Amino acid sequence: MDVLGTIIHGLNLAAIYGLMAIGISILWSSVGMINMAHGATFAISGYAAWIASSAAKPLIAAAFGKTVMAKLAMAGVTVGAGTLAGAVFGAIIYLLAFLPIHDKPNFAVRSLIVTLAINLATVQILLWFFGPRQRGLPKLFGFGKFEILGVPIRYDQAGAILSTAIILGLVLFWLRVSRKGLEIRAMMQNPEGAVLSGISVRWTALPVTMLTGALAGLAAILLSQTIFVSPTAGALPLIKGLTIALLGGLGSVPGAVAGAVVIGFLEATVGALPFLGQRYVLFAQFLFIITVLIIRPRGLGGLLDETRE
Amino acid sequence: MARDKKFYLIGQRPRELLFYPPGSAPLRRRRLPGTRRHLLKWRSRANPKSLRQERRLADKRPLWWTIGLGALLVATPFLSNSMITIAAIFCMFAAINVLWTLVIGTAGIFSLATLAIVGIGGYAAAVLNVWLGLPWPLMFAAGGLAGLFVGGFLALPSTRLDGLYYALLTMGFAEICRVFVVQLKALGPTNGSINNVGSFIPKDWFLQRPGLLLGFGGAFLLLLLSLLIFRIVNSERLGMLLQTAREEEAYAEAVGIDYRRARMYVFLITSGGLGVIGAFYAMFYMSISPSIFSLDQLLLLFAMIVIGGLGRSEGAVIGTAVVVLIDKGMLELGPPRILLIAAIMLVVTLFANNGLVGIREQFRNYRNRKRSEARARRTEKGGEVMPEEAIEFTDKQEIYYRRFQKRLRDHLKTLITDELIEEHRKSPLGKHSDALNRVLNYFRRGEMADKYAIMRQPDGFHRYKIIAFSGERGAPPRLVDDRIYEDINEAYHAVFLLRVNDLLES
Repeated sequence: MDVLGTIIHGLNLAAIYGLMAIGISILWSSVGMINMAHGATFAISGYAAWIASSAAKPLIAAAFGKTVMAKLAMAGVTVGAGTLAGAVFGAIIYLLAFLPIHDKPNFAVRSLIVTLAINLATVQILLWFFGPRQRGLPKLFGFGKFEILGVPIRYDQAGAILSTAIILGLVLFWLRVSRKGLEIRAMMQNPEGAVLSGISVRWTALPVTMLTGALAGLAAILLSQTIFVSPTAGALPLIKGLTIALLGGLGSVPGAVAGAVVIGFLEATVGALPFLGQRYVLFAQFLFIITVLIIRPRGLGGLLDETRE
Repeated sequence: MARDKKFYLIGQRPRELLFYPPGSAPLRRRRLPGTRRHLLKWRSRANPKSLRQERRLADKRPLWWTIGLGALLVATPFLSNSMITIAAIFCMFAAINVLWTLVIGTAGIFSLATLAIVGIGGYAAAVLNVWLGLPWPLMFAAGGLAGLFVGGFLALPSTRLDGLYYALLTMGFAEICRVFVVQLKALGPTNGSINNVGSFIPKDWFLQRPGLLLGFGGAFLLLLLSLLIFRIVNSERLGMLLQTAREEEAYAEAVGIDYRRARMYVFLITSGGLGVIGAFYAMFYMSISPSIFSLDQLLLLFAMIVIGGLGRSEGAVIGTAVVVLIDKGMLELGPPRILLIAAIMLVVTLFANNGLVGIREQFRNYRNRKRSEARARRTEKGGEVMPEEAIEFTDKQEIYYRRFQKRLRDHLKTLITDELIEEHRKSPLGKHSDALNRVLNYFRRGEMADKYAIMRQPDGFHRYKIIAFSGERGAPPRLVDDRIYEDINEAYHAVFLLRVNDLLES
C-alpha cells in the first residue's frame, strides 16, 4: 500500500468534504436550519459550470487561442459560474425554506422537510432536462503529475487541496474581521442575544445561505475534476458533508475541519486496503461515526447545539 | 335606529348532531369486555334551557375511521387488478407509517431505521423459509423476533444520543444493512435478493385476481393490527407517561416517570411490529431485495408522514394514501410524479403547521383570530357593551345604562358646532341656547373621576389653573396644564373646551 499517496488522496477528499461540511455546520449554527438541499446546490453548480464552460469554449478559443491565458479564462469561467450558481441557489433556498417559515412553529423540522423537498424536486428537474448522462468539466489544473519527496501528486489533487485551503482561510478571515462576519458569529453564539443587539435575522441569513451555497458550488467544481457531473451527483457529497458536520459536532467549524480530515483519510485508507476496497467505504465510515457518537454523543467538538436549544 | 341595527352571533353554536333519548333514563354504556374502556365517547347532559336530556358523541374520530376503512374494504373487490395492488401497498405502507409515527411522535425518537427493521424482519423470515423450510405462519413470528432483536440493539444508544445524531446513526444503520446484504456471497447470483419465498398466497394464485385479493386482505388486517397497537400504546399508560415527558422531561423525572425506559418499550414494541410487517412484505412479493434499505424509499416514506402530519395516526394514513396514489397510481406520468410529491410536500410544509391533519385546527385558529379582529374593529362603540361582553354582566341594568350613555353622547356630538363654542366663549355663565344647555347639563352630570375644576392660585386673586379630580377620597387632584388664566371666564371656557374635546374623542 502506498502510504504517502493515500495521505494525499485523503487530504484531497478532506478538502472537498470539508467545504460541504463547513457550509452545513455554519448554516445550522447561525440560522438553525439543516440544509438537505446542499446536494442539489452541488449538482446545480456542476451543471451551471458545465453549461458556462461549453458556451464559453469557442469564445475563449477565438480570443486567446491555445495560450496560458485561455486556460486561465476557462478556469475563471468554470469556477465563477459554479460558485455564482451555488450562491444563487442558496438565495433560492433562503427564499423558499427560510423566509416564509423562520418565525413559525417547528422551524427546524419544517425547514429540513422543505429543503428535502427542494432536493427531491431539483434532482428530478435536472434528470428531466439533462437526462441521466454524465458530463465532464474542463480540467482546471490540467493533466499530469509532479513529485514532492518522491510522492507523485496529480495536478487536480494539489489544486483542490490548495484552493480549498485558500478559500476556507479567506472565508474564516472574512468571518473574523468583517462587520457581517461579526453579525454571523454573534448569531452562531447566541441567536436571541444577537437579535436583542439589533442584528436582523433575515439580513444575516441571506449572506449565510449564499455563502454556504457558493462553498457547495466550489466543492462541486473541485470534485468534478475527479468524478463527473450528473443529476444525482449531489447525494453522496450531501451524506458525507452531513455526517462530517455531525461527527464534528453541528455548529463547530474546527470540529467540521477535523471531521473532514478524519473521514477523508478513513475513506482513502479503506479504499486503498486490498481486502476492503471502495465498496466498503460508506460501511466503514458509518461504523466509525456510530462508534464516535456513542462515545462522544455531541461529536468531536460540538457543544453549540446545546445553546441553540 | 332599529332599521339598521345589525345583530351579531355570539358564543358557540352547537355544531354537532345531538340525540334525544326517550324519557330520563341515565346513559348506559357498554364496556369492552375485559377492560374498562368504552367503544365510543358518549356524553350526556341536561340542556339548561329546555331541561331535556341530550346526548352527543364527543369524539367522532372512530366514526371517520370506520367510514374510511370500511369504504376501502368494500370498494377494493370491484377495482381493477392494478388498483387492488395499489390498495394493498397502501395498507402495507400505512401500517409501517403508523408504527413509525409511534416512534417519532409518541416516543419522540427521531429514528430513520424503520425500513431497515422491516427489511431485516423480511430477510430473516425469507432466509428461514427458503433454506430451513419454515412454514409461512411461523414466518411472522420469525420476522417479529428479528425485528425485536434489532430494535433492542438500536434502542440502546437512543437514550444517549438525541435528535439528528440518532437520525444519522439509524440512517447509517440502514446503509450498513444494504451493503451487508449486497456483499453476501450466498446471495451473489441474485444481486442480494431472495426469491421464491413461501407465502400465505398459494403459488398458482400469485399475481392472479384471487391472490391479489388475498394479499389485500392480509395487508388490510395488518393495517388494522398496527392501528390497534398504536391505540394501545399511544393512549394508554405508556403514551400517558411519554406525553408528560414530552412536555417537560425534568418534571417527568421528578415525579418518578422513567421516560427513558418507556421510550425503550415503545421502540421495542414497534420494532417487533415492523419485523412482522417485514415478514409480510417478503410473503406479499414472494421475494425481498436490498432496495428496501435504500435511501430513496426511506425519503418517500418520510414524505408520506410529513404530508399527513407528524405524530398522528390519521396523518400517517392520509399521507400514505396521497403519496401512494401519486407514486404508484400515476405511473404513466413518469418522473414528474416525484416532482408532484415534492411540490405537495413543499406546499404542505410551508403553509400548514402540522401536515394535512393539522389544517382543520389551524383553520379554526385562523378563523377565530379573524373574528376577534373583526370584533375589535366594531368596537368604536364608545363604551357600549359588546354583545360578547353582555353575557359576562350579572347586573343587566349596566348594559342599558351604558347604551343610554352612548346614545346620549352620539346625539350631543351632533350638537357641537363652532357657533355653539363661540356662544360659550362670549358668556360662559348666564342664559344659553337650548343646545348649549343640553351639552352643559351633560358635562355637569359627569362622574367625579377626572372631572375638571378651576383652582385659584394662592399668589394672586385673579390667577387660575385647571385641575382634574382623582375621584378617590384622599388622593389629590392632578394639574391638567401649567397655563395660568388671568380671567375666570377664560378659565371657564378652557374647561368647556377640554370637556368638548373629551366628548368628541369618546
